[in-house]
Amino acid sequence: MNKHTSMLGAAGIAGIAIAIAGCAGSVEPPTGQKQTAESSIQQAVSSDARNFEPILLNQAQNKLADAEELMDVEMTEANYQRASQLLEQASVDAQLAGARADTAKAKQAVNEINRSIESLRQRMNDSQ
Amino acid sequence: MNKRYTTLGMAVSVSILVAGCASTPQNNQMVDEAKAAYEEIRTDPNIARSGDRQLRSARDELARAESLVKDGASTAEIEHAAYLASRHAQIASEQGERAELQEQITSAEERRKELQLQMRSSEAQTAQQEAQTAQQEAAELRRQMEAMQAEQTDRGMVLTLGDVLFDLNQAELKSAGEATVGRLADFMAEYEDRRVRVEGYTDSTGEESYNQSLSKRRAEAVQDALTDRGVDRSRIEVQGFGEQYPVATNDTAGGRQQNRRVEIVISDADGNIKTR
Repeated sequence: MNKHTSMLGAAGIAGIAIAIAGCAGSVEPPTGQKQTAESSIQQAVSSDARNFEPILLNQAQNKLADAEELMDVEMTEANYQRASQLLEQASVDAQLAGARADTAKAKQAVNEINRSIESLRQRMNDSQ
Repeated sequence: MNKRYTTLGMAVSVSILVAGCASTPQNNQMVDEAKAAYEEIRTDPNIARSGDRQLRSARDELARAESLVKDGASTAEIEHAAYLASRHAQIASEQGERAELQEQITSAEERRKELQLQMRSSEAQTAQQEAQTAQQEAAELRRQMEAMQAEQTDRGMVLTLGDVLFDLNQAELKSAGEATVGRLADFMAEYEDRRVRVEGYTDSTGEESYNQSLSKRRAEAVQDALTDRGVDRSRIEVQGFGEQYPVATNDTAGGRQQNRRVEIVISDADGNIKTR
């Protein structure tokens, strides 16, 4: 029953989507999402995610590459939709990588400043 | 964007029609996880302050995922929305943590600045105290030297024991001489790095070899008096110069008396004594 329903639903959605795509005249490539993904990756790189979060950054870069490939292969709605999802994921992956790198750097800064405070204290104690 | 919402709207209406004969939709694990992640950080004040935009995106994606579940959308589509919701929640949480760290950095920097100021002023104070102490010590040294009637010469401070402190042609110190040596011993006890050279001199009357030996013996008598008072022998050099280096003429009684003397040369603070 359930499977039947979801199939029906999917068919319905697909039908409407096709209808709308038909109205639009042509299938639109997810160019906006691609730009967002690219700039998110760029920002992550400048936050030094290559150093602090290489795996997650790489994941984002792979998703962008996969999406580009899909967009190159064939201009179909299905391909574009899949590409759009990959690009959206690449964006948030990259943003998370950048955010984690920033947090890691802030932690390092806290440790560094605390160390220098500790050594100042020690020097003051020694001189007294 | 608009197009997607229109599509969604239509999909919703269609699925409501379809759902009429469907049972309740099944839960999706990724959606549950995204919801848990969102709920966990929803009320965090740090995140509300600094990760607000991501928090709202998480909420919106989560709502979309839930409505996709309700509408019986494809698992891929549901999980994509759930994925985005989870990621936005994670990013928000990172931003909140970073804001907290940033506050720590700011307050730690202030503390460090305070400490640096404190240290600079305490260093200045210490330097001032040290300078003061050094001045006091120098003044005290001068006072003690003056008390011993030591004279500043180009060889350093020199204390002269006159002939009258010794018996004629004898090497024994009279008690007046002992008193002077006592003050010198006290001085040397206090200034442990100072050393002395005791030099004996005579006038030119009599045999040169006799004078040489007498001057040496008188110097040694002073050395003995100092060691009796606890000054280490290694800090005392002894030398007899005999008739050499007269300070006055040997032609008059007064001049000869001046030449018969013992000079005690006091070293610098490092124990160095200039030789003749």
